[in-house]
Amino acid sequence: MWKWIQAFASPQNFYYTAKKIIPWFLYPFIALSLVGLYWGLVIAPVDYQQGESYRIMFIHVPSAWMSMFIYLVLAISGGIGLIWQIKLANVVAKVSAPIGAAFTFLALVTGAVWGKPMWGTWWVWDARLTSELILLFLYLAYMSLNNAFDNPKTASKASSILAIVGLINLPVIHYSVNWWNTLHQGASVSSIEKISQPAIHSDMLIPLVIMGIAFKLLYGALMLMRARDELLIREQNSRWVKGVIMEGEK
Amino acid sequence: MTLAEYFSFLPFGKYAFYIWFSYLVTIITIVILFIRTSSIHKKTFLQLRIKYLREK
Repeated sequence: MWKWIQAFASPQNFYYTAKKIIPWFLYPFIALSLVGLYWGLVIAPVDYQQGESYRIMFIHVPSAWMSMFIYLVLAISGGIGLIWQIKLANVVAKVSAPIGAAFTFLALVTGAVWGKPMWGTWWVWDARLTSELILLFLYLAYMSLNNAFDNPKTASKASSILAIVGLINLPVIHYSVNWWNTLHQGASVSSIEKISQPAIHSDMLIPLVIMGIAFKLLYGALMLMRARDELLIREQNSRWVKGVIMEGEK
Repeated sequence: MTLAEYFSFLPFGKYAFYIWFSYLVTIITIVILFIRTSSIHKKTFLQLRIKYLREK
């Protein structure tokens, strides 16, 4: 297993393997998005309390899930890069940041748009909303710090430490609705107990899960595409990179 | 007339503006992510090609 990880983590192997894997993320993402959107916008019934407005959930909730998931990936890969000095881990952390920031932005914007008809306001300084906004600032800080150094090793070290420290915000986001009295509703599908007996109808839960998987696939595809280019830049003095650029990919 | 009322002719009635706006922002963001990824790819290849040609 360790040998396989070591082989896959070699920049050259990763570059070529990622090219083969990308379509396996991209095409299922397109297919699942279409199914999820059709199910969510056409088949799913109207909510008895929120009416049609709840349909924003099919993009808001997966975006919020992704904002936290990508941060976790970023911090873990940053930590791996910091401890074991694996180049690929630093690359994954770096290219994940803008994608995570985009999902956090989406979670905040769609949340605000959903909040207006339901709460009567675009924004409140509620614990869930504020901690999610802090997550966006963490992503921006990570990207700024990563671009502030000329030496990629120093940049990875400094930004990984920031990412690891920022991990403290994830449980705050997740449990904010339980720890504080907030306007934001509690989790409906987060715990094992609630997955077996979810608080929402299966016709709403299934498209939500489909969209969640689709967004994960989207992240996978974008991360791999960006990681390949970042590897070329970092390995530009290697013979294989020169071969890729001058002779084309085999 | 508010924006929400103006767009109420679309599916989902009085919530149409909020729902379609959310989906539009999402689609635009995803398209931007792909465009940016593609432009990084082109830029990387171009810069490295220039570098190697100069070295020659």
